[in-house]
Amino acid sequence: MFLRVFQGFSRAGRCAGALALAFAALPAVAASDTLRICASEIEAPYSYKDGSGFENRIAEIVATQMGRKADFVWSPRAAIYLVRDGLDKNECDVVMGLDTGDERVLTTRPYYRAGYVFVTRADRELSIDTWNDPRLKQMNSIAMGYASSAEAMLKKIGKYEDNANYVYSLTDFKSRRNQYIRVDPARMVNEVAQGKADLAIAFAPEVARYVKASTVPLKMQRVPADDTGTGDPIAFQFDQSMAVRKNDRALLDALNAALAAAAPQIQKVLSDEGIPVVPAAS
Amino acid sequence: MRKVLLTATALATALASTLALANDKLVQLSQSEENWVMTGKNYNANNFSKATQINDKNVKQLRPAWTFSTGVLNGHEGTPLVVNGTMYIHSPFPNLTFALDLANPTRIKWMDKPKQNAAARAVACCDVVNRGLAYWPGDGKVPALIFKTQLDGHIVALNAETGETYWKLENSDIRVGSTLTIAPYVVKDYVIVGSSGAELGVRGYLTAYDVKTGEQKWRAYATGPDEELRLAKDFNSANPHYGQFGLGLKTWEGEAWKIGGGTNWGWYAFDPATDLIYFGSGNPAPWNETMRPGDNKWTMTIWGRNVDTGMAKFGYQKTPHDEWDYAGVNVMMLSEQTDKAGKKRKLLTHPDRNGIIYTLDRENGDLISADKLDDTVNWVKSVDLKTGLPLRDPEFATRMDHNGRDICPSAMGYHNQGHDSYNPDKQLFFLGINHICMDWEPFMLPYRAGQFFVGATLNMYPGPKGDRQNYEGLGQIKAYNSITGEYKWDKMERFAVWGGTLATAGNLVFYGTLDGFIKARNADNGDLLWKFKLPSGVIGHPMTYTHKGTQYVAIFYGVGGWPGIGLVQDLEDPTAGLGAVGAFKKLANYTQMGGGIMVFSLDGKGPYDDLGLGEYASN
Repeated sequence: MFLRVFQGFSRAGRCAGALALAFAALPAVAASDTLRICASEIEAPYSYKDGSGFENRIAEIVATQMGRKADFVWSPRAAIYLVRDGLDKNECDVVMGLDTGDERVLTTRPYYRAGYVFVTRADRELSIDTWNDPRLKQMNSIAMGYASSAEAMLKKIGKYEDNANYVYSLTDFKSRRNQYIRVDPARMVNEVAQGKADLAIAFAPEVARYVKASTVPLKMQRVPADDTGTGDPIAFQFDQSMAVRKNDRALLDALNAALAAAAPQIQKVLSDEGIPVVPAAS
Repeated sequence: MRKVLLTATALATALASTLALANDKLVQLSQSEENWVMTGKNYNANNFSKATQINDKNVKQLRPAWTFSTGVLNGHEGTPLVVNGTMYIHSPFPNLTFALDLANPTRIKWMDKPKQNAAARAVACCDVVNRGLAYWPGDGKVPALIFKTQLDGHIVALNAETGETYWKLENSDIRVGSTLTIAPYVVKDYVIVGSSGAELGVRGYLTAYDVKTGEQKWRAYATGPDEELRLAKDFNSANPHYGQFGLGLKTWEGEAWKIGGGTNWGWYAFDPATDLIYFGSGNPAPWNETMRPGDNKWTMTIWGRNVDTGMAKFGYQKTPHDEWDYAGVNVMMLSEQTDKAGKKRKLLTHPDRNGIIYTLDRENGDLISADKLDDTVNWVKSVDLKTGLPLRDPEFATRMDHNGRDICPSAMGYHNQGHDSYNPDKQLFFLGINHICMDWEPFMLPYRAGQFFVGATLNMYPGPKGDRQNYEGLGQIKAYNSITGEYKWDKMERFAVWGGTLATAGNLVFYGTLDGFIKARNADNGDLLWKFKLPSGVIGHPMTYTHKGTQYVAIFYGVGGWPGIGLVQDLEDPTAGLGAVGAFKKLANYTQMGGGIMVFSLDGKGPYDDLGLGEYASN
């Protein structure tokens, strides 16, 4: 087995035309009795090829509410490519879980709002209420995702460089030259549970499932607002929307209606997942 | 003879003369055409042999004398060593080392098969190559040693006679993303080793160890505070416009220098008269230039460092704030030539990945010339010899708001790790060139929770002189005069001439090609005089030695490395391997993986002319 160090397209899509083939689209005619959902096979816990992602479930609820059948158009690639390679190419019609207001698309009214959290071991009884906390300065293994609000914040408080090597280790030092690499949220949580990470900083929906399932009791604490007083404040809370193509306003309206009607069921999925939702922004 | 200074302490004097002795011995060995004691043949790193038995008149009679397989596939870079009748052969990961008796290569004299952390191969960026070995001649008390690097970051000293491990230590920690692919380098009683893994947050460094004990003598970084850069008090005093002090911090935003790259995994040269070693530091990190504003000193720098102290006398940054991945680690070749003004000068010539071939005065770092490796280089219009700065063409920059089209050279450079040669009699450098350009299409993909991915799609293809329809014409071989700046001749090749060249006084230049030929050309005019199809493509350089009166030419075969990444890893997406898979998509039509050496001589003359040699004989 050779490890594919340079990965352009995914292992599964080993073909120059992988873009087109990466989406195993069912018949091209999008009948109005189905809802074609762009979905990544590898984006747990949001989306996973067996349909176990919590946003897979929300998509099913919404489709049912619309009186349509959920038709998942699976991509073997990370969800970050879904808009460019799926939605914009008409391979599928709806993307779950984008930040509300993403300019590439039309986004629905938010169906939940959540924020970044510190994940720590319960037995450490760590409570951090400010980014100026001296304990943060002493930490050398802070698990987080690349190009996240957590990374931006660590840069701001001067912790990024000393911690970078630890973060690279979470992706087995795969070269990030020109390729998207995701820090596995299950691994982040596991690192905390095993005491290898001092803490993890992650978007709560991305880690909630693993925190809940951990045999070592873990704690999620909402991160404080950016209180450094320097530069533009870094945002830690985000509204999450479904998205459609910019010319697909009819579908947007239908989704908005269904989201409103299915709100209690969606709430239940989020709560089963263990996601601490925060009140929607006014 | 070394003059003993009365002012020196007895201890220092004794130490100094011991060092000088070991050094002299290696110089002496390197002058014999029976040996090839270091990767570049000698401290001038000129890959030049005075042997003339094989010459332009008879080279077409070259035939295989014997061969040896390393048993390892993947790319074989560098060249074997020959010392006192023994050939030392290295392999890519798992980094095997073999010693063969040239008088009778039948039975392997010794073999070193290290146990390595397999995680290392996941960390290595571009195939699992290794660039070679180093030899230290011994001092009577400590035996002669062979030094090797392992991908897992260890440097090992082996008894040259027995292959037993003499000492072993960790130079680079793969747990922090640092691997070793470089050939170690011996000067005096030091073994000098670089570092790899710039993109993984490794801050590049160069370390000198005591050959006898492995004790660290000094370590110099490529970025950071002056003390850790090891800048001499008179650093760049001859060329203050290159920059002097404090810049390893000031030319970075915040503390980005801590993960700023500038590793060195290329080649070295040494001048016993200046006592300086010469080498280049590599690209800054991270790859995305928008994340590291500033000149990013001292990445991409030609260094002259005192070998005893590691203190830098000069540093010339070729590509401030690199945007193309033009890692500046290529070969440094030393020559003594008369410049245009009629002055005899000690020179250093360096064909850089950025498409410029630089010649510096190696005593003080003066920039003498900076010529394009090919007239199709376009990211830079010219290099201002007064300031040393490249005059860039913004059309061929790599910015987030700009689709770069036909940027030459590509990220692979017009010249990469190949170890080239210089024929002092003809004042010609023989350069193996990549003729590859690229499109650079940036993109920014937002995700959720404020996350995003900034990247670029790279497509590589033959330069303007190649065949862009058929993806051939990706390389060149050229003869260059560094004083006139002129190319005496040049020839196109189907693929990049990745491994480098060998020059001999027989009016010949030898090199291997990715499609699996070893070729010999007339040094004066480039005419093709001989070739042979090898079992697999070449990414190393040929060497020559004379044994029992017969001159041999040896070369590694074993395609791989960056150009062969698609073939080795069976990749098909053209943008994989940063675009190398697309550029070399035709390579697999010509060659497949392999690994070993082939040894040639006139009419195949060699040890097995004696049919009894290597035969089983019952008692």
